[in-house]
Amino acid sequence: MSDALNTTAAKAPAKPEAKKIPRPIPRPNTYMDTQPFWQAAKNGKLVIQYCKDTGKPQFFPRPVSLANGKRNLEWREVSGKGTVYSYTNTFSAWPGHEDRVPYLVALVELQEGVRILCNLLNVKAENVRIDMPVKLCWEKLSEDINFPAFEPA
Amino acid sequence: MAKRKDIAIVAYGETKVTLKGGRSSYDLAGEVLEQILNQTGIDKNEIDGLSIAETMSETSNPFWGVYMSEMLGLSPHWMQLNGLGGTSGIGGIARAAAAIRDGLCETVFVVASDAQSSGRNPEQGAQRGEFQYPVGLRGPVGAFGLITQRYRHQYGLDDRALAKLAVTQRNHALMNPNAVDKLQKPLTEADYLNSKYVSEPLRMLDSVMVCDGANGVLVTSTENAKKLGAKKMIHPVGYGEISNFKGSEALADITVSGFSVAGPKALKQAEMTPKDIRMIMPYDDFLIALVITLEDIGFCEKGKGCEFVMKTDLSYTGTLPLNTSGGQISAGQPGLAGGGLNLVEGVRQMFGEAGARQVSDPRNCMVTGIGVIPYGRNWGVSGVLVLEQS
Repeated sequence: MSDALNTTAAKAPAKPEAKKIPRPIPRPNTYMDTQPFWQAAKNGKLVIQYCKDTGKPQFFPRPVSLANGKRNLEWREVSGKGTVYSYTNTFSAWPGHEDRVPYLVALVELQEGVRILCNLLNVKAENVRIDMPVKLCWEKLSEDINFPAFEPA
Repeated sequence: MAKRKDIAIVAYGETKVTLKGGRSSYDLAGEVLEQILNQTGIDKNEIDGLSIAETMSETSNPFWGVYMSEMLGLSPHWMQLNGLGGTSGIGGIARAAAAIRDGLCETVFVVASDAQSSGRNPEQGAQRGEFQYPVGLRGPVGAFGLITQRYRHQYGLDDRALAKLAVTQRNHALMNPNAVDKLQKPLTEADYLNSKYVSEPLRMLDSVMVCDGANGVLVTSTENAKKLGAKKMIHPVGYGEISNFKGSEALADITVSGFSVAGPKALKQAEMTPKDIRMIMPYDDFLIALVITLEDIGFCEKGKGCEFVMKTDLSYTGTLPLNTSGGQISAGQPGLAGGGLNLVEGVRQMFGEAGARQVSDPRNCMVTGIGVIPYGRNWGVSGVLVLEQS
């Protein structure tokens, strides 16, 4: 990596290449206790929060129930089955994703009734349709982090 | 709330929009203050309130507002920092009006200033690091890509309407000497349609270019304005705002915005319907936002925004002049001061000072603001202000 950068810099000293940053990897527990999510993910299970008072699911994790503002929450495993609510084919990368261009970002609606922002994998942009059934798959971003993605069901 | 004209906007100021201009937010704001003082002849010491927008360039400083006071030599009795993104300007006017009515201050400098293209964006934190950045959603561009795709699915999307908006705004920007130099060239429908995708279906020419700049207005009571000898004044007569619209609904329709709440609220207060609006200066970070704004405020039915755009003359000589200084998309987006760009143009038009692009009979104007990109939803803040002449 550093060799490649040095070579580039040597070829074009007037315009040094911007420092390349790697794909962002989640750091659990940055804004609340999300460890149960990442622990389950490591074991290939997708869990989301449920409000125990109202039975309503929510995603991403919150410090309170979005239904009633209370903290009577629990994590439950979900099916990993859903449909594409919307999607976009990304040509201009978010920093750290340059090597992945073009890549598909989607809002997938899970059967359980929440939406999750994710990548669509193993499908070409021209074959994606809104309402298309998809299923959970995992991307291993590091030794500790499995990140949820979706692919055609 | 009954319609009142007890609050007045008596001056406006605006810097030229620049790309990586290198001047700080303080310096840019100073230029706006001087313009306002020159315009009104009001003594600086009359200003006893400061409403200021949060910025990309300086917000990492938790004392940003007080530093600004120090830079400008103001000693406000009331200060308000607005972190509402593009709604901070019009939201600042509404808050200033409330503070003036409550006797907290008399004369408020409502300013927005940002050197975003010259600086570094602060980290927004929260859930983004864990649940957004790893996916690679390309920020606002990606979020509006998702909104556009869903809109197209639910209602169909006429690309010619988006092209018309792009061309109309560009034609207006060509008459605006404060517009950023880089965008001072004519644009055609074909240019728009051939523009490359950044987050398909969103094109490069759907989007704003982040720049630097500042703008502001001076707000006081109508009574005090007369006492100060203000030469011109207009009045905020209706305001509506909502943050985190449908934020507790996991499956809310992402094509519907908070304007469906803020628009009717502002119009009701102003005792108007959309048909009464002479001109509109809507917040334009992306062209699709204009379509959704017009629908949700009630200028047309939901899903008919493109039809409305195609059949309405939105030029400065038209029936509903729209963003007559070019909007942010063609004048450049001065960072988080972007919401003030279209606001200042509304005030300028109503003062009859818009020069070559002057709208005839500028009796009222609607200005909107949009702020913040949330997780997987429509935008985060929607604000609507209605201005009317005396």
